[in-house]
Amino acid sequence: MISVSERDYITKGVDRSVRADGRARLDFRDLNLETGMITQASGSCRVTLEGGTDVLVGVKVEVGSIEPDAEAAADADDIDDDGGARTAGGGGPGTDDTTGSSGGGTHARNRGRISCTVACSPSATRVFDPRDVESMCNEYSQLLNRVLNSAHGGVDLAALCIVPGSTCWVLNVDALVLDYGGGLLDAIFAATRGALHNTRIPRATVEQTDGRVEFEIEDEETEIVAGWEDVPLTVSMSKIGYRHIVDPTPLEELCSSARLTVAVNRRGNLCALQKGGEGGIEPSLLAEMVQTAKQLGQTLLSRHDTLLAAEARRIAKGVDPTGFR
Amino acid sequence: MDQDDIEMEIDGEDSLDIHVVTPGEVVTRDSAFMRGHGTYTEDETLVASLAGVVDRVNKLISIKPLRTRYNGEIGDVVVGRITEVAQKRWKVDMNARQDGVLLLSSVNLPGGVQRRKNESDELQMRTFFAEGDMLSAEVQAFFQDGAASLHTRSIKYGKLRNGSLVTVPSALIKRTKSHFVTLPCGVDVILGLNGYIWVAKHVPISPEQANQPDALYHNDNEPIADQEREIIARVSNTILALAKHNNFINDTMIVYAYEAGSSHRVKDILKPDISQEIVQTARAQFQEAQQH
Repeated sequence: MISVSERDYITKGVDRSVRADGRARLDFRDLNLETGMITQASGSCRVTLEGGTDVLVGVKVEVGSIEPDAEAAADADDIDDDGGARTAGGGGPGTDDTTGSSGGGTHARNRGRISCTVACSPSATRVFDPRDVESMCNEYSQLLNRVLNSAHGGVDLAALCIVPGSTCWVLNVDALVLDYGGGLLDAIFAATRGALHNTRIPRATVEQTDGRVEFEIEDEETEIVAGWEDVPLTVSMSKIGYRHIVDPTPLEELCSSARLTVAVNRRGNLCALQKGGEGGIEPSLLAEMVQTAKQLGQTLLSRHDTLLAAEARRIAKGVDPTGFR
Repeated sequence: MDQDDIEMEIDGEDSLDIHVVTPGEVVTRDSAFMRGHGTYTEDETLVASLAGVVDRVNKLISIKPLRTRYNGEIGDVVVGRITEVAQKRWKVDMNARQDGVLLLSSVNLPGGVQRRKNESDELQMRTFFAEGDMLSAEVQAFFQDGAASLHTRSIKYGKLRNGSLVTVPSALIKRTKSHFVTLPCGVDVILGLNGYIWVAKHVPISPEQANQPDALYHNDNEPIADQEREIIARVSNTILALAKHNNFINDTMIVYAYEAGSSHRVKDILKPDISQEIVQTARAQFQEAQQH
C-alpha cells in the first residue's frame, strides 16, 4: 500500500531523475552473487540486491525421456507465440535475428529441455495477497520456461540430447524467492544464469550394439552446460508517470503503471519481450525503452560475467562459499 | 566466552558491556536471578531462548531480541500506515504483532479540538485517513488483546507528507526526549520507535495555515526542489547505512553519519565499504563527544 503523497513524491522524483534512494532513473542497485552453495544441486546461485531482494536458484539435472510427441508440442508452442502471446520469442523490434545455436534446423526430437519453476517463500511474501503471489510465480515460471527453451535461450539444447528420439538431459531450474525488495524478475534471471554457469552435468557415453542403443552415465558431474554464456539477462523497466526506470524498489513498483521486461544476450540480441502491469506503453516510448534496455543489458551482462569469473576463481581455489551464514 | 566471564559481567554493577547471547546459551548459573522474557531455567541455570542482548534490572534478567516485531509502550511516538478503515476506527500497520487501532475519537478533526464527532464524520472517515496513508501518532493505551490504541490529538501528530519512509529494526531506535527532529541540513526526521522513520522536507506551519479546514488531512506535497530531494535521499541512505551496521539511531548519530558521508555520492552511501567507513567515522565521533 502506498499513500497519495508518497506516490506524488516518487513520481515527481522519477520525473526529475532523483529517486528516493538517490539513484538516477537508469541506475541499478548493487548486486551480490554467490554460486555453488547447494551441494545437493548440480548448480546453484544466490543473488541478493542491496534493497533486500534475495533469490536462490538451484539446477538439478536428470535423465528424462524425449516425449514421442515433442515435435508436435514444440509446434504448438510456436503457434502460441505467434498468436500474440505475451512472450515474443525473439520476434521483437530491432532483433538481429537468429544466431541461435540450438534452434534452426535441429529437430525437436533431438533436444533436451529445461523445466523452470519459480516459488516464493512465505517470509518473502507476507506483504502480498497469496493469490497475487501465485499468479506472479506462474507468470515468472512461464517466462523463464519460454525464454530458456526458445531459440534465443542460450543453452545448447541439442547438446543435452543423449539418445536422439528417446533420452535427454532435463535441466530442472528451480528459483526460490527468499526475500522481496523490488526488481525480482531481473534477479531471478541473474540467478538462473549464474546457476547455469555453475551447473555440471555427468558425462554420458552412448554405445550402439546390434542396433540397440545403450548409454552409461558417470557418477561425477563434470561437463559444463554448453552455451550458458549466451543465456540472456533481463532488464525490466517500470513506467512511472511519463518516464521509465530500472530496478525499482517496492514502493516504486507500486507507483508504476506498466512494466516492460526485455531479455538481452551478450551478442546484443533481443531474446524476449514481456509487458506486465495494467497500464499502457506508447509505441514511441516502447521503442525507446527497448533501445535503452539493450544498452543497459550489455552493462549488466559484463558486470554479471565479472562476478561469475570471480566465483569461478574462488571455486578453483577451493574456498567454500559463504552460503547462508 | 568462559562461564565465569559471563557471570562476572552480570555481577559487575557498572559494567556497560553489551552481552550478546544465542538461544540455548547459559546466561547465568546463579539461582539468585529471576527469569525474565526470553529466558528459561534448566537444571537451576538460566538459559537464553532468543538471540539478543542481556538486559538486567536488579535481579531480573531478560533477553532483548535484536530482530523482533515492535513491542509498544504507552507514550511511544510511532510512524504507521493505515491498512483498513473500519467502524469508527482505522487499523494502522506499525510493525507490531497486531495492527494498531486509531479511534475516530482520538484524532483531531478540522474545526478545533473541542469539536464533537457526529455521524457525518463517521461517514467521511476516508477523507481524513485513507488506506495507505502514512501518519505519526502516539501510543495511548493497550487493548485487552495487546493491540495498541493510538492517538493523534496534538498538532505534531497526523498525516505525513513531503517525503519518504525508511524502515529499520525497531530495536535500533533510541528513546530520546524528542523524536521529531529537524536536522541542520533542513530535513525533518520522525524517528518512530517502531522502526519506521519518516524523512521529509522541513515545512514550517504558520498558525493561519494550521487553522485552514483541510490543513490537517490534505494529500498535496509542497514543491520540492531537486537539491532537497537529494538531501532527503542522503539522509534516508545514511539511516539505512547505520541500520545495516546495527548501529543505534538517534538525531546526533544521524548528523555525524551524514557529515561523514557528505563527500560521497548519495547512491554510493549504501555500498558496503563506504557505509562501513561512514558508520565507523560516526561512531568514533560519537564516542569522542561522549568523553567530553
